[in-house]
Amino acid sequence: MFIDQTSRRNFINRLGWGVFLSTIGGIMVASIRLLAPNVLYELPKEFKVGYPKDYPEGVHFIPARRIFVLRENNRFRAVSAVCTHLGCTMRWSEQDLAWKCPCHGSVFNEKGGVIKGPATRPLPWYDISVSLDGQLLVDLNKDVSPDHSVVVNV
Amino acid sequence: MTEEDTTTSPRNRFARSILREKIPVSRWVTNRILGLGAINFYLFALLTITGTLLMVYYVPSTTQAYNDIKDLGTTVSFGSIVRNMHRWSAFLMIISGFLHMSRVFFTAEYREPREFNWLVGLFLFLMILGMAYTGYTLPWDQKSYWGLTIMSQILEAIPGIGSKLQYLVLGGTEVGQNTLTRSFVMHVKLLPLLMSMLMAVHFWRIWKDDHITLTFAGEDHTESPNQLEQPSVTWRYILTRETSKFLLVLLFVLVFSILFNAPLEEQANPMVTPDPVKAPWFFVGLQEVLSWGAPFWTGIVAPLLAIVAVAVIPYFDHGREGIGVWFHPSRRLSNVLFTAAVTIFIGLIIVGEFMRGPGWIFYWPWQHWSVN
Repeated sequence: MFIDQTSRRNFINRLGWGVFLSTIGGIMVASIRLLAPNVLYELPKEFKVGYPKDYPEGVHFIPARRIFVLRENNRFRAVSAVCTHLGCTMRWSEQDLAWKCPCHGSVFNEKGGVIKGPATRPLPWYDISVSLDGQLLVDLNKDVSPDHSVVVNV
Repeated sequence: MTEEDTTTSPRNRFARSILREKIPVSRWVTNRILGLGAINFYLFALLTITGTLLMVYYVPSTTQAYNDIKDLGTTVSFGSIVRNMHRWSAFLMIISGFLHMSRVFFTAEYREPREFNWLVGLFLFLMILGMAYTGYTLPWDQKSYWGLTIMSQILEAIPGIGSKLQYLVLGGTEVGQNTLTRSFVMHVKLLPLLMSMLMAVHFWRIWKDDHITLTFAGEDHTESPNQLEQPSVTWRYILTRETSKFLLVLLFVLVFSILFNAPLEEQANPMVTPDPVKAPWFFVGLQEVLSWGAPFWTGIVAPLLAIVAVAVIPYFDHGREGIGVWFHPSRRLSNVLFTAAVTIFIGLIIVGEFMRGPGWIFYWPWQHWSVN
């Protein structure tokens, strides 16, 4: 039987390279994939923030979850306390009625809109509701409009 | 020579052959201009030793790391001096790395055939910054936490892969234990390993490029092509000089570490961002630029442009005049541009460090910060 030596050698050579490169490539992909955790031990995105009666009128910082809960009469709203520029926690200024970021100086108005950069995106507002036990329930997975509120007769 | 007669015992002959014999070395060893590259190497050695000592106590845990650093400063014998030495050597290495690069620029020694070594050196400098940055995250104080937060948000601004990259670096969606562990691995394993490898390449290229240069040096240089081969100095001379230099660096760092303590802020607290929160001094210039606009432009495009600009210098400058000469007149424009760029960088650091108060509002250094 006639066998072309050159092409057989060629074929084996290519096969060798193919196996080598795909092994190395596979190991690299697997190593990078390993870096992305599948299970996170972070705090849940939906959580309770206490009873409505405990909130006086005004803006209240919830340090553990980095949000503000706002109360106007019987309306409750929730807004992120995380600056949309680079993630610093902001403070509420009662005299300017604005949120101010200590890191790079961004300022947001009471609707969460940017009035001074470098931030470009407005603050996200979060869904707030009343859970069965009467506590306020905030869901960070649900972005809502600045007017979204829950009315509780306290 | 009379010396030859005295060397009769084998031990003396050994000492003579190794230490006294004149060896062919490049003129870059004999005419070392400032020796900053070697100083960087000594600082790297100091950092490796002090870092290893610190690792004996340090645990990269979000609940324990801060207390370990506190312990190093209070209960561990000499712990505070070792930590201070680690900190101040790192600072010194940033400065001497920068000065080394400036020296190479002002004497036009990045030119062919050394353009590759200029690139290696640039990567080494970026790794020094990477080491300094990851080192800052390890004590898990407020600077660590907010530095990581800001860095991860900058990563997110990279188009396309940003949020995936952020997930990998943070090891999740927020700064936490996974982030600290990853930072630690980078700081004590990955970056030192890469730096050692690059340093080996850097040193090898110094030797190699000297050979190339001197082979072609005949026409426009005064030295003869075979100058390299002529024995010029002894090992004994080099060892004595370099050992004294190392000891001077050690003494400087040691005295500085005894006199000045490395700072430690309050423990990392995700609930409160200090106002103002400032990056470590070598990144506060970048923080100043970040305050000007969208992170994509100020945090990614601008720094990358700066790095690329430094990287391509040797590939644009094809001049042959003034190599090895400080501030050669034919290079006035390049020197002015380089000095201007450096001044801007230092200016940004000064503005960020001394002229930004609460809310990143501009204050003159002598003005009082109004506290909201």
